[in-house]
Amino acid sequence: MARESKKKRPSRLIALSSANKTFEFRNPLEKSIKYQGKQVEVKLREDPDGFSYIVWKNKKYMLDVIEKNQNRYTVMINGVWYSFSVETPISLKRRRYLETQGNTSARVSIEAPMPGKIIDIMVEVGSEVKEGESIIILEAMKMQNEIASHVTGTVQSVSVKKNETVMKDDVMIEILRA
Amino acid sequence: MKIKSILIANRGEIALRIMRTAKKMGIKIFAIKTFKEPNAWYLDEADEIIDFSECFDDNKPEFLDIERIIHAAKKHRVDSIHPGYGFLSENPEFARRCEEEGIVFIGPSHDAIYRMGNKTIAKKLAKSHNVPLLEGSKGAVANALEAAEIAGKIGYPVILKAAAGGGGRGMRVVEKEKDVERMFTLATNEAEKAFNNPAVFIEKFVREPRHIEFQILADKHGNVVHLGERECSIQRKHQKLLEESPSPALNEKLRKEMGEAAIRIAKSVNYYSAGTVEFLLDAKNHYSFMEMNTRIQVEHPVTEMVTGIDLIEQMILIAEGEKLAFTQKEIKLKGWAIEWRINAEDVQSGFSPSLGTIEKISWPEEDYIRVDTGVRDGSVITPYYDSMIAKLIVYGEDRDQALQRSSAAIRKFWIKGTNTTLAFCRAVLQNNNFRKGKFNTSFLSTELKIHYHHEPDEEMLAAFFATYDYARELNDMEDKPLYVEKGKDIAPWVMNKRLR
Repeated sequence: MARESKKKRPSRLIALSSANKTFEFRNPLEKSIKYQGKQVEVKLREDPDGFSYIVWKNKKYMLDVIEKNQNRYTVMINGVWYSFSVETPISLKRRRYLETQGNTSARVSIEAPMPGKIIDIMVEVGSEVKEGESIIILEAMKMQNEIASHVTGTVQSVSVKKNETVMKDDVMIEILRA
Repeated sequence: MKIKSILIANRGEIALRIMRTAKKMGIKIFAIKTFKEPNAWYLDEADEIIDFSECFDDNKPEFLDIERIIHAAKKHRVDSIHPGYGFLSENPEFARRCEEEGIVFIGPSHDAIYRMGNKTIAKKLAKSHNVPLLEGSKGAVANALEAAEIAGKIGYPVILKAAAGGGGRGMRVVEKEKDVERMFTLATNEAEKAFNNPAVFIEKFVREPRHIEFQILADKHGNVVHLGERECSIQRKHQKLLEESPSPALNEKLRKEMGEAAIRIAKSVNYYSAGTVEFLLDAKNHYSFMEMNTRIQVEHPVTEMVTGIDLIEQMILIAEGEKLAFTQKEIKLKGWAIEWRINAEDVQSGFSPSLGTIEKISWPEEDYIRVDTGVRDGSVITPYYDSMIAKLIVYGEDRDQALQRSSAAIRKFWIKGTNTTLAFCRAVLQNNNFRKGKFNTSFLSTELKIHYHHEPDEEMLAAFFATYDYARELNDMEDKPLYVEKGKDIAPWVMNKRLR
């Protein structure tokens, strides 16, 4: 009975990569991929010891969903991760439309790339920073890491203090893009 | 004196490595349990556990607490202590306290540790024993101003190094005078944190050198041999990422010359136990002494693979007072071994640490593959210790075969639950100059543009898997009736939708 209902569902899904590449699959559950004009069957297996893998062109690729948040996926394949948002044809259209509406924010936040302790903050509110300039020193795993700004602009807010510990993705500094 | 018991003042893979040999020798093992990893694997393999988990004082980490370890060893009447690498392994005070209390320290004398650990004394010794070295400050540099002055004299670039250092911590290269102050602060902070000693010295920085080190074994009767070299040039921020033995850069003549220099260094401090003499080798094959590591090294397995000598066993025998059972002539390097360090790091995010739980780990079992690891299924990677979780050591008849076997082994080395440097290992293996043996310590910044390797269809397959998982979830949600009592099995967002 369940089998029957599956067929009725619109099943075309698109994975949109962070570099804006799209990968379209007619029905992923049918485990076949359109490749160079042909439908190619993929073998998707789960080992009894807990690894999932795809056999593709006679090679095994180990796969794992390492992060999932609604339709946002990060998938690890052979140790390399890729991020996608999974879209339907309609949601993709809507997304593309919204992107044309110019919501590019001028405010950029610098987030902690890893959990750690703030050793030093080299900027304060109002400081001008250049792209690539070190703004924070974060200690994690016994190494002091220089965190650089990835934009040029003016510091709007500093939300961390020296000697404070931060978690991954905590916003440390906000910069108004020049 | 026969050693009957060892307290291992360490954790992780090296604790397990020491246990393996100790068990073979019929020695009883004591291990230290901490609150940071109460379920670590190494604890299961020990004969007795000494519980340090009562301590929550972050300022004195368990494996750095000399008096507590000595006290525990005495209380349990342990014969000897093996410090492993890192932590107290190169702390002369620790070795001295062991000697004082009549506990055998499985390592060199406190005096040898002190003199080789102090870069100023070590350099003087090297100089007086006719071993080439680099220009630099005579000792620790007092402040950034003095650092700038000396750097001006010997010329940029220079390198700031922790006087008590090792392992790449507390080291900074200074390219221009205007960076001196910032780099000086970074280096001293890091040195203080890592070694409890902020002192840094300065020396000429050799651009694009190779990092070559020699393994030494010396007994308490004055016999010293070297076990050939290890090539450790593939590094990131002075942290080694892979090592091989022998080095593609050395020929028999240079090996002999550098090996003899290494032996002279060891003899200059009446060294005994296993030790490593590190050299920089420039493009013209001029070598200069860098430092001596007075402990077992992370990368010791490659030497064991090509010499057939168990270095931990040798350390124990030497500590017992045994004479070396072989001469220099009897040591033959056979074949080629490469060690790939597998770190819990996210290579795609600039090698940032990746914490989490190892859900699954597996690797191919072959007689030419050795894996030294401290983790197994369910192990937790904590932020307390460094990020290395496993070492994959691959042996071949020659370098080509070792590389070929490495490629296959890395493909089949699977870890689920954390990011690892395996994709980096694949990237290195794909590089032509690496395959040809043409590389130096700048390899990562100059040669390897992308630090991880991916194959053409990988992204597409990953995309497929994301859509597959998404579709399957949708499907499950619509097909399955909702059992309230099984509610916890349902993804929260599904639950949310149902309840609305």
